[in-house]
Amino acid sequence: MKPAIFVNDLVIHYRQKNGQNVEAVRGLSFEVEPGEVVGFLGPNGAGKSSTLKALMGFAPPKSGQAEVFGLEAGSLEAKNRIGYLPEVALYYPYLTPLETLTLYGELQGLRGASLRHQATELLEVVGLGGAMRKQNRHLSKGMLQRVGIAQSLLGEPELLILDEVTSGLDPVGRKELRQILKDRQAQGCTLFFSSHELAEVEMLCDRILLIHRGQLIEERRMAALKDELRQYQVTFTGQVSMVGLTDDLTSWGTSTTARFESKSLLVQALERIFTQGGSVQDVLAQEGSLEEYFVQTIGRAA
Amino acid sequence: MSAPAIEFLNPTVRPTATRTRLWLSLARAVILESLRRKDLYVVGILGFLLMVSAGTLGFFGLQGLETFAKDLATTVLGLFSTIVAVLTGSRLMPDEIRNRTLYPLLARPMSRFDLIMGKFLGAVAVTWIAFGILAVLTGLALALFGVRFEAVMGQYLLLKSLGLAVVCAVSLCLSMVMTPSAAATMGFVLAFGTTMIVRALTMAYETASPAMQWLFKLVNAALPQYGLFDMGSRAANSGWGPVPLWVVGALLGYAVCYSSAMLALAWLKFRRQVV
Repeated sequence: MKPAIFVNDLVIHYRQKNGQNVEAVRGLSFEVEPGEVVGFLGPNGAGKSSTLKALMGFAPPKSGQAEVFGLEAGSLEAKNRIGYLPEVALYYPYLTPLETLTLYGELQGLRGASLRHQATELLEVVGLGGAMRKQNRHLSKGMLQRVGIAQSLLGEPELLILDEVTSGLDPVGRKELRQILKDRQAQGCTLFFSSHELAEVEMLCDRILLIHRGQLIEERRMAALKDELRQYQVTFTGQVSMVGLTDDLTSWGTSTTARFESKSLLVQALERIFTQGGSVQDVLAQEGSLEEYFVQTIGRAA
Repeated sequence: MSAPAIEFLNPTVRPTATRTRLWLSLARAVILESLRRKDLYVVGILGFLLMVSAGTLGFFGLQGLETFAKDLATTVLGLFSTIVAVLTGSRLMPDEIRNRTLYPLLARPMSRFDLIMGKFLGAVAVTWIAFGILAVLTGLALALFGVRFEAVMGQYLLLKSLGLAVVCAVSLCLSMVMTPSAAATMGFVLAFGTTMIVRALTMAYETASPAMQWLFKLVNAALPQYGLFDMGSRAANSGWGPVPLWVVGALLGYAVCYSSAMLALAWLKFRRQVV
């Protein structure tokens, strides 16, 4: 099966207003398999939006390959299988969300009752059921983002490319969006999105790609990364040596708390406590901070 | 959701819109936006002022000055509708880019050429609606003078409509290569100045060197010949009568060719443009 997204040695240049060429993406390569949920992370100006634009055919690459389901990125056949949410988009201010979706649906090739049904249902799903006949200019930023999400889902796309997907949404909206995306994933849809909301990334993604200055600097499976970031600690009493397992020890009174970087070290520590006559008071597994990982990884690459 | 994603795993079952449907959908959105933005209300108000002015002239006893009234009516009609055509044509694409409404459009399975065509048709439709409203109101104003509707008036309206479509195409093309305000300014200069420029070129042609004559010909061919579509003077003078049908056919051909060339230029600029 062909990958949902195939990017090979992609280079994207922009010409700035002062005539200078800026290299937004420099030899980027990665793949996304069908059905995967992949987060595309990086600091501002890392080249995320440029890459997404190249996948949509908005920014032609200077060199390299960008394919969607084996089709040239930006081709009509490829776009027919993609739902896209731009980072910042306004929707025609004098049209209503229903008219907006009807327009995009017609451009997608949908027609008649099926289009009306799908547009209405999508607006209900994104929580705009009561506002579908208000003109877009009267909607808040968050509501417009919901219009954007609804339009990206039109036509049951096989691949969703979402740029800053949670932008402008309140916590309730984010939760609803998460559910929508999870439903889509359950239906076999591939999700590829950029976001600065690391909590969303953590909750949704199978895998993350981290880019910096237009280059891929890290590619991690979310489950493995979570395991790696998770910290374990045990609080015990008794004279037990933790040499070789950890240096991170805190003692107060007769109790000692030891922190470990992996589950296997924790297991070894527990064995030592039992064999050396100690007594376990508490065992804790603490989720690591993706934000800390992000900052450190970017810091290393800088 | 209404349909499971599995239905679409085979891309051959995905629906696609025909070109005509794409263009019409885009054009309809332009018309709807324009109506709701109340752009055409301005046209209606201008038309109403026309009627009031005509009524005033009638009050002061200018009945019988048919030629004057028709000349004034066609001039004002041409002026206002050209303003609408230039402003609409030069605003559509820059607005799409500035407001970033372009992204969700380009994300659909349609080419950039289709987008330009849809926008062009929308601009033409808005202009023709405005022209239609003005024409009806002007017709009513002329009726106050007891002016009868003649075949030449019909020809004037038809050819002016074609000319306005060319104005839209030129303005849209200009808006792809320069800033919106510059495009509107240039659009007005061409719309209102081309006749004068062409007249000046014609006068200078006889005394110019062969090289300059060749250049004048080139400039003359490149300029949009809006004057050809303006039968205002002919319509105002009852004795002149309508032009032969072949002239109308030739002008239709010219309008199609020139507009196509303008749209092709706009597409060439836009097709690889980073948005």
